[in-house]
Amino acid sequence: MTLPASYTDYPLRKRAMDHDRYPYRILPRTSPVTWPGGARVALWVAVHAGWFPMDMPTKPFIAPGGMERPYPSYWDFTQRDYGNRIGIYRMMKAMEARGVKGTALLSAALAREYPVLMDDIAAAGWEPACAGLDMGHLHHGGVAEADERAWIDEARSLLHGHFGDTVTGWHSPAHSESARTPDLVAGAGFTWTSGWANDDMPYAFATAAGTLTAMPLSQDLSDQRMLLQQHMATEDFTAAILAAHATLDAEARATGGGRVLTLSVTPWLMGQPHRIRAFGAMLDAILAHGGVWSATGSAIADAWRTQQA
Amino acid sequence: MLDRPGHYDYMPWRRRPKIVWPNGARIAVWLAPNIEHYELNPPPNPRRSPWPRPLPDVAGYSWRDYGNRSGFWRMADTMEKYGVRGSVSLNVAVCDHYPEVIERCCALDWELFSHGTYNTRYFYDMDEEMQRELIRDSRETILRVAGQRLDGWLTPAISNDETTQHVLAEEGILYTLDMTHDDQPTPVNTRAGQLVSIPYSLEVNDVPLFVNRNTPADRYAAICKAQFDQLYEEGAESGTVMCMPLHPYLIGQPHRIAALDAVLAHITSHDKVWLATGRQIAQHYIDYTLAQHRSWIAEGTP
Repeated sequence: MTLPASYTDYPLRKRAMDHDRYPYRILPRTSPVTWPGGARVALWVAVHAGWFPMDMPTKPFIAPGGMERPYPSYWDFTQRDYGNRIGIYRMMKAMEARGVKGTALLSAALAREYPVLMDDIAAAGWEPACAGLDMGHLHHGGVAEADERAWIDEARSLLHGHFGDTVTGWHSPAHSESARTPDLVAGAGFTWTSGWANDDMPYAFATAAGTLTAMPLSQDLSDQRMLLQQHMATEDFTAAILAAHATLDAEARATGGGRVLTLSVTPWLMGQPHRIRAFGAMLDAILAHGGVWSATGSAIADAWRTQQA
Repeated sequence: MLDRPGHYDYMPWRRRPKIVWPNGARIAVWLAPNIEHYELNPPPNPRRSPWPRPLPDVAGYSWRDYGNRSGFWRMADTMEKYGVRGSVSLNVAVCDHYPEVIERCCALDWELFSHGTYNTRYFYDMDEEMQRELIRDSRETILRVAGQRLDGWLTPAISNDETTQHVLAEEGILYTLDMTHDDQPTPVNTRAGQLVSIPYSLEVNDVPLFVNRNTPADRYAAICKAQFDQLYEEGAESGTVMCMPLHPYLIGQPHRIAALDAVLAHITSHDKVWLATGRQIAQHYIDYTLAQHRSWIAEGTP
């Protein structure tokens, strides 16, 4: 047995991406954008508020934060649910004290489960965005199109029922998508997404239903990656954020073009009593640096979009 | 399969009816030493293998056995030094295997509650009758060796099955630790009886920190102090609870015991601290706040 000859055919081997979603773009050669007030860095606090069903599937992979212990894992479920009861309120308080707005990347099921939390998110002036139906409904290549379409419609309708048309962003849970997810998301009326973690700046993402603005949301620099998966110390995570900020700020100074610093943070991790002070201190250090525009995802996407030719 | 435990209602962390601890304390701090026996040759469970290696798992067994021989005694001395009582999460078979450990706990006036019979007998797939018998065995054993009523419960390895909380309530248990959804006690909804949840912790628990997260001892102490400082501050608004779960085979090691000493020195240097046991916290909550919390929930947590 050997591989077929076609194994070394490379039909897409040319100067382009191997898909049609976006062209290659070189960050240092990207035309500069400016932020309101001449800010160098737009600070986007993206807060993952997830609903993790205790009976969620473990195939084709366990979502970050998924049920890792045998059913019924009260351990996993209640530790995550803590974030929706307590952790997110601690983060709201810490952010409000510093005039920082957030975007809540919401499992839409939370609108059904905890309407009071939805009211409090709206009252805090945060942007609500849709992070799928819940963490038990991951979008991936094995999901039938009709199912995926129904999940997106249900998620959209749950959040729109509560927040109206202020919901314009979509984040695919666990950064997982099928080949058609962006088309369905755009078709459902969303205008920005953050599932593809491949840039420090927004870019245009083509779909069968129009263009989405792809927002930078790092997997590498996230509390789920560093604190949950890599077991790093809280201080190592906040130091990494501050190092990213220093680099992005220096690039903005050098090029005259604004940058985006995204905090990908999770209430059941960063909202714990032993971490919340480090979270606040990190925000203080970012703001003390100056030249920061604290904004929601949609505000950043809008500002970027209006400067594209 | 259940998509949630279904035992508690949503209670956002703002405008809750105030918890007032005795003597104006802001925070109730309780220590829960897990005094356990992991069997050398446990029976299999369909949902979890007790040991990662083929039996006998000498490495795993001896690590934990260290806790009852060396670690416990060192840990108990450190707690005594600061006048901090323990609420023992007890595999009740320890009473039969190592009565000296229980005598020391009783001499220190510690509470004993049940952590099942052995830490290698999980509740997964256990029918209600077997759960009930096991709870009654715990009650009788703790009454026999310590003259105490069984009030608290933590299922071994948090291996509770869907029905466990219902059976606990029916058996007259006062408080459960199987859920870590809150920093205050909360009501627990069961099909009969009355049960409350009081905060245990997986965040400042020495097993996740030392075994899973590879935390150095000085960092462990810093995490515990940060946990305390935040909950102490928030306790000015409404009384909070901090639980420090301990495992003698980990915290009682010579290279770690100084971290426990440092944390207890920090906590006991504050004046608005109620050094309580699990039973005291649960009873105070039931007597003074449970009904208000239930009313607030019924009103939609305004």
